[in-house]
Amino acid sequence: METVIKQTGKTQAFKDKANKVMGISLEDAKITKSYLSVAFLAILLGGILGLLQGLNRAGMLELPAWLNYYQVLTAHGLLLVVVLSAFFTIGYFYAGLSHTLGGLLPKVRKMAWIGFWMKIFGFVLAVIPILMNEASVMYTFYPPMAASPIFYIGLVFIVLGVWMCAFGAFINVASWRKRNPGQHIPILSFFATGVFVLLFFGSIPVAIEVFTIIPWAFGWVETINVMVARTLFWAFGHTLVNIWYLTAVSAWYVIVPKIIGGRRWNDLLTRIVVIALVIMNITGGFHHQIIDPGISEPVKYMHVFMSLAIGFPSLMTAYAMFAVFERTARKKGGRGLIGWYKKLPWGDVRFLAPFIAMAAFIPAGAGGIVQSTNQLNQVVHNTMWIVGHFHLTLGMSVVMTFFGISYWLIPYVSKRMLTPQINKLGVIQTIIWTLGMIIMSGAMHWVGLLGSPRRTSYSTYFDNATALSWDPYLFFLAIGGTLLMIGVLMQVYAVFYLMFFAPKGNTEFPVADVEEDEAPTPRWTERWGLWIVCMIVLVGMAYVIPLVDFIVNAPPGSPPYKTW
Amino acid sequence: MMKSSVYGLLLLLVLMLPPAADFLESIMITHMHMQMPLLVISGIFMAKFFQNRFTGFFSKWNENGVPGILLFSIILVYWSLPRTMDEALTLTSVEVFKFISLPFLGGVPLRDSWPKLSSFWKHALIIFFTILFLALGWLYIWSPVQLCNNYLVIEQITLGWGFISTAFAMVIYLIYSYFMDFSKYE
Repeated sequence: METVIKQTGKTQAFKDKANKVMGISLEDAKITKSYLSVAFLAILLGGILGLLQGLNRAGMLELPAWLNYYQVLTAHGLLLVVVLSAFFTIGYFYAGLSHTLGGLLPKVRKMAWIGFWMKIFGFVLAVIPILMNEASVMYTFYPPMAASPIFYIGLVFIVLGVWMCAFGAFINVASWRKRNPGQHIPILSFFATGVFVLLFFGSIPVAIEVFTIIPWAFGWVETINVMVARTLFWAFGHTLVNIWYLTAVSAWYVIVPKIIGGRRWNDLLTRIVVIALVIMNITGGFHHQIIDPGISEPVKYMHVFMSLAIGFPSLMTAYAMFAVFERTARKKGGRGLIGWYKKLPWGDVRFLAPFIAMAAFIPAGAGGIVQSTNQLNQVVHNTMWIVGHFHLTLGMSVVMTFFGISYWLIPYVSKRMLTPQINKLGVIQTIIWTLGMIIMSGAMHWVGLLGSPRRTSYSTYFDNATALSWDPYLFFLAIGGTLLMIGVLMQVYAVFYLMFFAPKGNTEFPVADVEEDEAPTPRWTERWGLWIVCMIVLVGMAYVIPLVDFIVNAPPGSPPYKTW
Repeated sequence: MMKSSVYGLLLLLVLMLPPAADFLESIMITHMHMQMPLLVISGIFMAKFFQNRFTGFFSKWNENGVPGILLFSIILVYWSLPRTMDEALTLTSVEVFKFISLPFLGGVPLRDSWPKLSSFWKHALIIFFTILFLALGWLYIWSPVQLCNNYLVIEQITLGWGFISTAFAMVIYLIYSYFMDFSKYE
């Protein structure tokens, strides 16, 4: 035992030294810095738009004629759901690949840059029609609402840019595996592989959807099959949700244990969680379509199982996280049934933010299970409840983890240090964000149960009494939104301060080690090809029945509508 | 080890429950692509019990795995025919045969044979089933007539696409194992 500790101590010392001397290469750092800059600029812009929207929805702010509610809604969704999440995920995982696989290959670096500019180009193309009020179709851009074709062409470039980065990651991982026969892919790169597999396979359906929409938006074909398009959209939409989630989960498993001075959870179980999430994810799209017509009840019923199955690895994660916390705290002398929590580093934003993110996933996940259930979904489907739900999942569980990551990742890539002042700012930001999100998302959930619809600007419905009764809750929504805007400003300040102005120094990339006495992880976890085949089989099982039904029994189809 | 046999038996019992069986048999594709594979899987789980109980039998009659896999293939091909599905729904004896043959003559020999087979036989089997699935997919999708009395043409087409998509996944697997040289990574 002693020799083991000594040995790991030695390798650790060597690793630390290598890390200190070399750090991340400047070229790799530039990629991550660029991606993260775009991500946080997106949160700034998206946050401002979100505030406008919240104030408008509460009836407190009249938007000018040249910038209506639905334009703001579309831009807010696109900026935060597509730009923030994609750019953060890619920036973070590329730094992770660079750190754990000994640097990016020159070819891969080039691919990351091509992907970067393709996405930026695509995004600019998509934004122009939004600003011109030609694409107020909201983030869920499925028919029968039709935007300007330019909007969809922009989306194609975003998808191509994402694929570029996905293949770059695959090439880097494959090359590492060839150079290191018999070894497991380092855990963070294993997560990255899973995320990029999902990004690639999840965006295939949306690519097909967009390619059928473009001729329709141009007017070359008259009608489109709405149900097929919606189904393809949600196969992507749901996967995208889980890509952010898996990105956040990677930090929970790998980074957070190191920050609290512990070791990470069982390697095999961690990898099983990744594999399970990759295999089962895409089919979850159906629970977004529970009230869609055209899908028979038995099929919807079966999809409840498919969706709840995704909850299982999440429950494993919840268990694993709290087990790691308790184990670490007890090692540090924590006592009592729950008294050990005092030993956790609550003053460290790199722990506090992801911890609250995890805690938020308990109600967020529970809400998700509620919504996957047929009958309960019918109650809340088109209400503000859903908006509250995804602000809890994305806005808290995912984004707060991203914030927590930024406090060490940005100093790491810019070879600077996290100062105590910025740490304090981060802690305050975390508290403000938590309060803001609880108030806003709580109000949204509640007012949704009272029947307030989503995707509409403010209306009293001719002073209808029920609609007027929503007002107090909508005020809370606006108050929460304002707090969140303060949080956004603090966070963006912290990010750019850490990137350009913080004192120079070496920041560690915190990757936790496994427990010393852990059994070796079996080889089969590395057979990605097999997991992908399993995923394809599951997707086939899920989609063959409804798609055949939609296509063979297709209605006449819908012409493009411009409802705004 | 015996635990998995118990789980297999439990799975079989659950599948035999009238509501479960009726539900899965009410849709053509879940009948063939969900109930039947689950029955085979229950057999795979239960195999250990039979292997321990009848060690001599398996080593004598299924020495290199080929007889077992042949039996498995015959059972699966038999249950791929439209007529057999129809009969399972109309004749109780055939329904009983389905619940016996798929786990015990399909799943059990599959579990016993698979580790014994050489990689040539394993791939040959997957290629055989890929071709079979493509052919069945073609049959079910483009058949000009209703093949089962109990299922509508739309369900038949759905099943056909189910076969094609499963065959597609198997083709991907074959390409993957053809181009991947696992020895390079080990």
